Amino acid sequence: MRTHSTLTRTVLVSGLLLAGATGLYADSQEDEIRLLRDQIQALDQKLKVLERKQELRDEEATAAAKSSVKVTANDKGFSVASGDSANVLRLRGLVQGDSRWFFNENVSNNDAFVLRRARLIFEGTFNKIFEYQLVPEFGGTSGNGTLTILDANINIAPKKAYQLRVGRFREPVGLEQLQSDSWAFFAERSVVSQFLPNRDLGVMLAGDILDGKLSYAIGAFNGTSDASNNANNSDTNDDKDVAARLFATPWKGSEGPLSGLGFGIGATAGHQNSLNGASGSLTSGYRTDGQQSWFAYRSTVVPQGNTSRLSPQASYYYGPLGLMAEYAVSKIEATNGTNQQSITNKAWQISGGYVLTGENASYLGVVPKTNFSLSDGTWGAFEVVARYEAARIDDDAFVGGANSLANASTAARGLNGYSVGLNWYLSKTVRASFDGFHTDFKYAPGAAPASNAVIKQDENAFITRLQLIF
Amino acid sequence: MKRILILITALAAAASAFAKDVELLNVSYDPTRELYVDYNAAFVKHWKEKTGETVVIKQSHGGSGKQARSVIDGLDADVVTLALAADVDALSTHGKLLPADWQKRLPQNSAPYTSTIVFLVRKGNPKAVKDWDDLAKPGISIVTPNPKTSGGARWNYLAAWGYALRKYGSDEKAQEFLAKIFKNVPVLDSGARGATTTFVQREIGDVLISWENEAFLALKEFGADKFEIVVPSISILAEPTVAWVDKVVKKKHTEAIAKEYLEYLYSDEAQEIAGRNFYRPRTPAIAEKYAQTFPKIELFTIDDVFGGWTKAQKTHFADGGIFDKIYAK
Repeated sequence: MRTHSTLTRTVLVSGLLLAGATGLYADSQEDEIRLLRDQIQALDQKLKVLERKQELRDEEATAAAKSSVKVTANDKGFSVASGDSANVLRLRGLVQGDSRWFFNENVSNNDAFVLRRARLIFEGTFNKIFEYQLVPEFGGTSGNGTLTILDANINIAPKKAYQLRVGRFREPVGLEQLQSDSWAFFAERSVVSQFLPNRDLGVMLAGDILDGKLSYAIGAFNGTSDASNNANNSDTNDDKDVAARLFATPWKGSEGPLSGLGFGIGATAGHQNSLNGASGSLTSGYRTDGQQSWFAYRSTVVPQGNTSRLSPQASYYYGPLGLMAEYAVSKIEATNGTNQQSITNKAWQISGGYVLTGENASYLGVVPKTNFSLSDGTWGAFEVVARYEAARIDDDAFVGGANSLANASTAARGLNGYSVGLNWYLSKTVRASFDGFHTDFKYAPGAAPASNAVIKQDENAFITRLQLIF
Repeated sequence: MKRILILITALAAAASAFAKDVELLNVSYDPTRELYVDYNAAFVKHWKEKTGETVVIKQSHGGSGKQARSVIDGLDADVVTLALAADVDALSTHGKLLPADWQKRLPQNSAPYTSTIVFLVRKGNPKAVKDWDDLAKPGISIVTPNPKTSGGARWNYLAAWGYALRKYGSDEKAQEFLAKIFKNVPVLDSGARGATTTFVQREIGDVLISWENEAFLALKEFGADKFEIVVPSISILAEPTVAWVDKVVKKKHTEAIAKEYLEYLYSDEAQEIAGRNFYRPRTPAIAEKYAQTFPKIELFTIDDVFGGWTKAQKTHFADGGIFDKIYAK
């Protein structure tokens, strides 16, 4: 009995000890797990805090980048912009160095190297909607030492659909005239642009509507003569010219071959009266592709009456092919005091280009796939261009003998021009062009051109240009 | 010809008129996004009915101090609806954008709604947070924004200070108390909404010291099964203030609409909107209607304890002030 009881006690004690040890082991394991869990949670919190701090630093950096001034320099020029891009100043430039060579002509001293254009272009925006442009010209006729302000205007542009421009800028009429001369097919625009106004002072409402498929513009201007820039704030009367233009690109944005087709019409109407002591406002001379004057009114002739111009126009760009066609009729009533005539002059042209290296042609120029680089063996882009143009002066400009408005011995009654050329786009900013021009002149009935007149012989000219634009 | 000229001039004038769409910019502090989305819709309707004009109201939100800085630096705010009077004062003193007595131009010291400061904790309140003292204990992680940039953070700070001043009796003790709290703050967001994001979405910290309206919004948006609000024994009466910015509205010719925009905040419709968005309405009848929403809590004012915002700002939050000393440690 005693032995049994001892055994029982021994078993009980052993059981209790074993149970206690197991419990202790279990407690220590739970503690360890709890400890580990706490450590993991603490580490998790530390990691989250570090991540959050990095997130906040990134947010601050992004905000700082948004508010800091951005300075950029690339092949579009140089710009300084506020952090929100609401205020921007861009500096661009254009330099064109030409050489002109004439063959079989009877005018001496006209082969020359010419600084055709040298411009600094300041443009930008204030408060996102107030755009401005200031373009001083150092080259061209200004290359003689006179600085001209070509463009100086403010454009209030709350929406693309309606913008209000005030100052000096191009009148909204000619298709080729409105294209940047840097990207025209030829070094010199066609004779059609000679019959339409260039820059003038005024106010214009313009915009792109219908998803950009229709552009409209209508403006009131002082009134300027054909092809001229109103560079000196001149205005000879209280009447203002109205200029307007509509241009449609109905298939713009589509994939098909019609996507680059555009057509439209530009027009001006006005009244000029220069007899009351003010200087005249007639063209100073229509020029050939070689920039020689082939028609001018006599110096005593001034505008007196209504003026108008009309110019239907079309362009087509599809892949490397570009085409442009334009017609202009320019009407003016002019007088020399005793002989007043209503003159209707007309011009037309069709021109085209094909980019041999496959880049897309466009109204805004050609962007070469590669830049010219001897080390890389790349040559840029090449484009061949051709043009036919013609102009006809009203016969009434020559009636009246010595009292006629134009001198038939120095002024032609018309011309036909044929041109071919090659444009080499060395980069997006540099273009070299090589253009050959041939011009036949038509004379007024019975006219005998003076021996030293430009129109005495056909004009054959070769013009090269190296152009930098950014 | 004259007719055509007149037509062009008329078209030009029309274009200018299009350019002058009536547009109002409300520069506000962080947690008011939802409030002003609702209020703007009501005001647009009210203005249309009253004048026939269509107004477009733009909102800008961020830390209150930071927003004030932006306006001083040139952000064209027609109206500011900021977290505290000191930030609007800064527009007057540093920016000369509005007169010094701007607060007298609208009722209730230009504070059309109020709020207070509470705690948001995780469901079940695992750290057993009951009052301000619990925030000063070691081992607890607290989320609050930076008082240098956030108006809400300054209210948080002053609420804690007021509690400590009452309980421990001196500014020195209160400073020690605040130092202990900020020792438990692992990250400082620039605004109240950012702090809420840190606590709620990034799952950082045990307690968010928060605007009462922001805490209610967190419960509504993220679920009462995840968080709960702890109301301390005492807190501060937070009075977000509003003002039109004279220099801007004169320039933009929006003075009339800017004034009306702020005055309409005191209308019954706007007070209802404030109540629905968990701001304490000023109008007694509307406040009574929402009385059940808001917990009863003893509130002290900034004038009572700190002698007003100007003094509090200078003492605590200016460069070299007490907060800089606390946080530098």
